[in-house]
Amino acid sequence: MIQLRKIFKWVNTGSNRTFLLKDINLDIAEGEFVSIMGPSGSGKSTLLNIIGMLDEANEGEYNFLHETVFKLREKDRSALYKQYIGFVFQAYHLIDELTVYENIETPLIYQNIKSAGRKAMVADILDRFNIVGKKDLFPAQLSGGQQQLVGIARALIAKPKLLLADEPTGNLNSKQGEEIMELFKTLNEEGVTIIQVTHSEKNAAYGKRIIHLLDGRIEN
Amino acid sequence: MLKNYFKIAWRNILRHKGYSVINITGLAIGIAACLLLFMVVKYELSYEKFQPAYSQIYHVVTEDKFAEGSTFNSGIPVPALEALRVDIPQVKFAGINAIYGSQVTVGTGSDHSFTDKKFIEKAGIFFCEPQFFDVFSYQWLVGNSAVLKEPNTVVLSKKIAEKYFSDWHQATGQFIKLDNSITVKVAGVLADVPANSDFPLGVLISFETLKANGENYNYQADGWGSTSSNFQIYAQLPPTVKVAAIDKELIKFSEAHYSNEQFGASKKTNFLQPLSQLHFDTRFEGFGNHITSTSTLWTLSLIGIFIIIMACINFINLSTAQAVGRSKEIGIRKVLGSMRSQLFIQVMGETGLIVMIAAIFAIVVAAICLPFIKHIASIEEPLSLLNFQTLGFIAGIIIIVTVFSGLYPSLILSGFKPVLALKNKITSASVGGISLRRGLVVMQFAISQILIIGTIVAITQMNFVRKADLGFNKEAIVLLSGNADSIVIAKQPVFKQQLLQNPGIVSVSFNTDPPSSDNIWSSNFAYNHQPDEKYPISMKFADADYFTTFGLHLVAGRVYAKSDTTNEVVVNETVLKKLGIKNPEEVIGKQLRAGNNKWNTIVGVVKDFKTSSLKKSIAPLVLAQNSRYYAQTAIKIRSNNVAKTQAMIQADWDKFYPEYAYTSSFMEDNIAKFYQQENQLSLLYKIFAGLAILISCLGLFGLVSFMAVQKTKEVGIRKVLGASVGNIVFLFSKEFTILIGIACLIAIPAGYFMMDKWLQDFVYKIDIGVGVFIISIVLSLVIAWLTVGYKAVKAAIVNPVKSLRTE
Repeated sequence: MIQLRKIFKWVNTGSNRTFLLKDINLDIAEGEFVSIMGPSGSGKSTLLNIIGMLDEANEGEYNFLHETVFKLREKDRSALYKQYIGFVFQAYHLIDELTVYENIETPLIYQNIKSAGRKAMVADILDRFNIVGKKDLFPAQLSGGQQQLVGIARALIAKPKLLLADEPTGNLNSKQGEEIMELFKTLNEEGVTIIQVTHSEKNAAYGKRIIHLLDGRIEN
Repeated sequence: MLKNYFKIAWRNILRHKGYSVINITGLAIGIAACLLLFMVVKYELSYEKFQPAYSQIYHVVTEDKFAEGSTFNSGIPVPALEALRVDIPQVKFAGINAIYGSQVTVGTGSDHSFTDKKFIEKAGIFFCEPQFFDVFSYQWLVGNSAVLKEPNTVVLSKKIAEKYFSDWHQATGQFIKLDNSITVKVAGVLADVPANSDFPLGVLISFETLKANGENYNYQADGWGSTSSNFQIYAQLPPTVKVAAIDKELIKFSEAHYSNEQFGASKKTNFLQPLSQLHFDTRFEGFGNHITSTSTLWTLSLIGIFIIIMACINFINLSTAQAVGRSKEIGIRKVLGSMRSQLFIQVMGETGLIVMIAAIFAIVVAAICLPFIKHIASIEEPLSLLNFQTLGFIAGIIIIVTVFSGLYPSLILSGFKPVLALKNKITSASVGGISLRRGLVVMQFAISQILIIGTIVAITQMNFVRKADLGFNKEAIVLLSGNADSIVIAKQPVFKQQLLQNPGIVSVSFNTDPPSSDNIWSSNFAYNHQPDEKYPISMKFADADYFTTFGLHLVAGRVYAKSDTTNEVVVNETVLKKLGIKNPEEVIGKQLRAGNNKWNTIVGVVKDFKTSSLKKSIAPLVLAQNSRYYAQTAIKIRSNNVAKTQAMIQADWDKFYPEYAYTSSFMEDNIAKFYQQENQLSLLYKIFAGLAILISCLGLFGLVSFMAVQKTKEVGIRKVLGASVGNIVFLFSKEFTILIGIACLIAIPAGYFMMDKWLQDFVYKIDIGVGVFIISIVLSLVIAWLTVGYKAVKAAIVNPVKSLRTE
């Protein structure tokens, strides 16, 4: 599903070039559950952003479902991304001005799904996550765990093949975190490919494969 | 998707109430101001447009070329009318003659007896040829233009007919009497002429009536030498005929008819003024109540554009400042799959919503302000907001303002990189708007300073005009206007005796005009039996008491001896200057001939006084006596008990002239009327400079509030490091002070240029001194400091422990 070849990413600070990622080669097959670990500044999030097409590498090649991502036009990349990828953040990143229902609905709007279809899909997922009663609340009215649940619901609403999670439990207490990880496990069993970035050994263990990053390189 | 955008937009407006109020208020004021000015300009531009043959109608005007320049007259010598019909047969010509101050007495009852129903029509009475209706189209309610072929017939407008006979259906067949001497029969009724016309056709008497009573109304059937603006000719050209061709024929016509030596040194020619210029060409006077110069319309439009630009700038400034706060939302939306174009549309849509809300407020504000519009423009007809053009304008302005103010913020917001946006790494610096925002603030302050300069100059000039030494005493002088017919003039000496018995009255003079008037009677002249001079001389007829009544001073000789006819004359100093005579005594005893009159002896030289408004230079003037022209009575009264004295004057008038309506005015009011347009403009500057300052302060306030939020941490750290409140306030105001300084550099030359041009309208004017600019700079600085200061002090007195706690 994902092939990364010789990925380099750097920033220039003055005359120095600081490498965020160095020579990353990585293959991830459909149905995998991968945990990326590493100390702060090792390039975990950068790698996740590149896989999620939010960022571009300076060098290298990225194939996603046989498309050469870096060579696509913005429009095509956006279409690819909308169809296959869902994102979950440490800080939830819900839109404060929208209700739970509306937050979950937003990706569908960008995929031009008709209003009736959207209603059914959102109702489905609200039901599945047991948050029907919260649908008219605003993010500020929810606890952290609940917000992250909404975030995951939003990421899954368009039925992506790949779920990217950047420290999804980082802001949650351990009980809430455990629930989220159990949820991920179930999703993975249903066929969703998951890549998560995490600091916690315990959470990483939910993954079927663990990748360690240090100073922008994959350690074996 | 639209619903989602709308929801977000609406919630954003509510969430950021402060900014929304500033944005909407600023835009609403801007749009309302723009809308009102648009309506004024549109109204002025609509003059005569209702005429179906608008583009084919022309006004035949007269130019007198002297060696020292030209004078223009909207009138034409009377015999030119028939001559034009003979010489240029392919064009339809029509003559119309206005008279002012004439009295109409309405016949009432079954015997049509003329009782005390007397009217003086301010708009004038017209002697009108039936052909006038071949050139212009008006709607007839009763009768048709043929009724004006007969002598002693009159056509009334519906409004006038109702005023005279209470029901216009009853008007036809009734009689009215003009100046107590000519009885005319009402033969037709016209629908009221629209207010956007320079032809206030209320009372139209057949032209044949004028021909039969020519001597009463200065109608000279063969007077090739005299041109009065009261008699005008209009023409309709057939569609196939070119204006240039007719203008050429008019030059030939002028050479054929005016080449006679008796017209002195000037060269008189006629040319065509298009109807579309009639309302805007200040060289000519119309029959209407005002001429609007194109430059005034430009000033109005420019002010409107200025105000709307300032409102847009506020919007851009606040939205880009706010953009930082919205970066997270934008980032999330991008992550959720929004394309840049969709975000662009979303932000544009939000702008559109705010602009539309502002427009709704603007319409309400404009509707409330509409009745007051007559103070800034000479529009007496109530204007309507609900018409196709105005609504179209509002729609247009919503689109333009949305695009103009939404474009930049939309581009900035939709261009955020999602990774940076989500990490809260977007700062106001990375929005890239800092220098742009500064530029926009400079522009705002430059505009408001230009308007402040305009206001100061206009007010100073109008004060100068009000207080100017006119060379005569204008205070406490009552002017009675009447009619110079033989009955009135015969009674004048006795009337004067009666008036002078009143202890409130100082002196009484009969004359044609007050010293300053825009009624100019000018003629060619010769001095000391030399050939005619190359410039005209103005004439005023007045009795010997004119000098004491108006406090005129003589520099040489004496006032002429009392008489009813001209034999001695007094000239002003300008005549001497023009003739190149230094010593005023030199002209005493010499002779002067004005027009084709006889030679008269100069007995005195009067010190120069302003012969017209301060917009014109003092004309060379000759004062002479001739009682048959004395239509006006000037009465100098004592300043105590004015009301009582006035009542007594009216009582005397009614006793002496019961058949004449009493019309009085104060000299000072008459002079104020010279400057009606200038006073309106000065008021306009005051209002709009105020609005401009208000809008830029709103914007500044918004920006500073935003800065205060952003700098909370910086202010906290600085205070911990020992900064005083003063230091912090200085930190905030420093930048704005510099920006205002830059704005001054733009505003001063622009304002100087603009107002210097405006002052060119006046011959007597103030100098635009450094003081004007200093005042405008200080004013903007003080206003800006007050605006900034409030927020800055508030930010500065916050306890640093509080502002740093979040860290």
